[in-house]
Amino acid sequence: MTGKEKLLSALKTKGIKYIFGYTGGAIMPVFDELENYKDLQFIMSRHEQGAAFMAQGISRGSLSTNNPQVGVCIATSGPGAMNLTTGVADAHMDSVPMLIVTGQVATGVIATDAFQESDIVGVMMPISKQTYMPLHADDVETTVHEAHYVATTGRGGPVLVDIPKDIQNQSVSKKYHFDVKGYRPVLPGYFYHPTPERGPLERAMKLINKSVRPLIFCGHGVVNSRAGNLLQQFAEKVNIPIAFTLHGISALPADHPLSLGMMGMHGTVEANKAVVEADLLISFGMRFDDRVTAKLDEYAANADVIHVEIDPSEIDKNVATSVAINADVYRTLRVLLDDPMLTYKPRRRWFKKIDEHRKAMREALQGEIDGGVGDNGKLLMKTIVHQLSLATKGKDLIVPDVGQHQMMAARFYNYQTENSWFTSGGAGTMGVSLPMAIGVKLSRPDERVWSISGDGGFQMNMQELGTIMEHQIDIKMLLLNNGYLGMVRQWQTLFFDGRYSGTPMLNPDYGFIAKAYDIPYLKVTKVKDIRPALQKAIDQKGPILIEFVCDPTEVILPMIPAGGGFNDMIVTRPQKEKSVSKRKKKGNKS
Amino acid sequence: MKRRAILAFMHDRPGVLNKVSMLIRKKMYNVDTLTVCSSRVKGISRMTITLREDDIAKVTQVIKQLEKFTEVISAKELDTNKSYWREAAIIKLEVDSEHLKAFKGRYNFEVLDKKSKDIQIIQLAGSTAQIDNFLDKVGREHIIEIARTGVTAMEK
Repeated sequence: MTGKEKLLSALKTKGIKYIFGYTGGAIMPVFDELENYKDLQFIMSRHEQGAAFMAQGISRGSLSTNNPQVGVCIATSGPGAMNLTTGVADAHMDSVPMLIVTGQVATGVIATDAFQESDIVGVMMPISKQTYMPLHADDVETTVHEAHYVATTGRGGPVLVDIPKDIQNQSVSKKYHFDVKGYRPVLPGYFYHPTPERGPLERAMKLINKSVRPLIFCGHGVVNSRAGNLLQQFAEKVNIPIAFTLHGISALPADHPLSLGMMGMHGTVEANKAVVEADLLISFGMRFDDRVTAKLDEYAANADVIHVEIDPSEIDKNVATSVAINADVYRTLRVLLDDPMLTYKPRRRWFKKIDEHRKAMREALQGEIDGGVGDNGKLLMKTIVHQLSLATKGKDLIVPDVGQHQMMAARFYNYQTENSWFTSGGAGTMGVSLPMAIGVKLSRPDERVWSISGDGGFQMNMQELGTIMEHQIDIKMLLLNNGYLGMVRQWQTLFFDGRYSGTPMLNPDYGFIAKAYDIPYLKVTKVKDIRPALQKAIDQKGPILIEFVCDPTEVILPMIPAGGGFNDMIVTRPQKEKSVSKRKKKGNKS
Repeated sequence: MKRRAILAFMHDRPGVLNKVSMLIRKKMYNVDTLTVCSSRVKGISRMTITLREDDIAKVTQVIKQLEKFTEVISAKELDTNKSYWREAAIIKLEVDSEHLKAFKGRYNFEVLDKKSKDIQIIQLAGSTAQIDNFLDKVGREHIIEIARTGVTAMEK
């Protein structure tokens, strides 16, 4: 047995079904061996970054199935490995377990600036959970098992295994023995603490019972520990409204009466106002990122904070807690639900206030959603997402890219299925949607997957249309084309006096692109055609690309300006845009 | 800014020092001193890091993130009053023997080498302040070369 065999058999043992990647010189022995492993299906991405996001899609999508899998991506040394980095950093920020296998130049030439050599262990160190470079074939199997363990336990994350080419080919020693069943990783420095302690739990329950205007935060940890249903029961038990982080979306049904929708920079009025007015924040599995808190010194000034979080380094990092519970969200909720100490309160005044905000929010938006077009007659993204939500009854899996349309998809789709929202939150990587949707589809083949992109992000990983074509991956691609980098343009409208520097973009004919990849294509320019186009995508089997011609002046509101606080929230659309377009016209004439 | 010492025990594996120093850089600190040595237990190293920070919450963050590394077994801040912080120095001085002798009583240094009548190499161990004090008293203009180990520390 050789290093490459040990690598692939270990992956097989860990239940891996798909390997995404791209071959090259330093990983060729592994690829050669891969031919002998029919259970491991190799999917060739058209760029290594795509492979990293496909692997993420597998991990994210399958976590709520009976058979959670870890996504695996593989690349050669040097440029191949370097191309993975964005997807790895993205997984690290979003706590997504992933295994990254890279070929390295042979040990004899390491650190000589050999052809296609890069110090990928050094590069990945700050953007991954752990890095390994086995230096003997005997170490490969243990390394893969340990890497899998580290990636999937505690707060998940990506783990790199960089294997020099000669080690891939090296035979294990005669005395080699590895006990798969009896294997327990020896990591005295690696701790995670899943069970909540009684002391902080009791203090938390006292605060909850005492509170008048409490608010629950549902973060990524709720989805990752599959605790959405428990959180819903808990919220009902104590009658407390829930606000969601971007990653907390789809933990429980979006239209639950206690749901206030997303909070933060582009959160709903009701969620953000509730944060300001609350006297207690009960946060589950989140990290108080700056897009959630806005200006920190004004954040939750009058509230106690209970923080339930598996990663102790996130507790007290940005927001000082009153009670810290370093534990798994699921286990904490299990204990809280069974505890008779917690009491139900009607909280009529609190809900009345929240309902007023909710009403104000709805009034501000409903007209736009119903109208469906901007001043220039072009389609509004929020209407498209709303129509998609109606057409699919909120049951499908949504993989947005990054930008304005991502916020629209977060806000205007009525998520009904647990773990049905997959997005690049922490890193905010444009181009994520197409490849990640491929991974999600492979992890949940019986469910419908929608990839929603803007024209900017779509073109960043458009080459993966090749992967979709080759494997006939059944994803429905919605391209919301407004000819601009919409989110940056929105900032330019609001904060840069309408100077659209670096955001307009000349687009290709996407019809021709779809045709080149033999993918059915539709173009929608009118509101009345939105629903039939979506229905066509639902009715037909296989991939389809639908391009919507969207209004570039549409903005996603509310918005808390970067560096601002919750009181600076912009709720109504500014009238600046008209004067801007006039100026632009003048410029064109001269 | 207040000088802080963090003591960490970690697995002696390649790349750990790299991780620790990257974390400290990421947190925007300039390392004051950093010393690593083997501990009582084989395969476990002890590392003492000193840096400057007034805000205790920020130091706690650094410690929590250090502990997050798979290789780090424990990390904590050492209270100045409840621990010894010591360093050693080797100093090459161009100084008259008689001038140096005058400090022998107050500073327990050892002469390692006498290159010529007025060039000597000495060694001295003590707290950072003691060594600084010695250099001030002898006169820093006499220093040709100086090597200091950086702080290593232990709880009382």
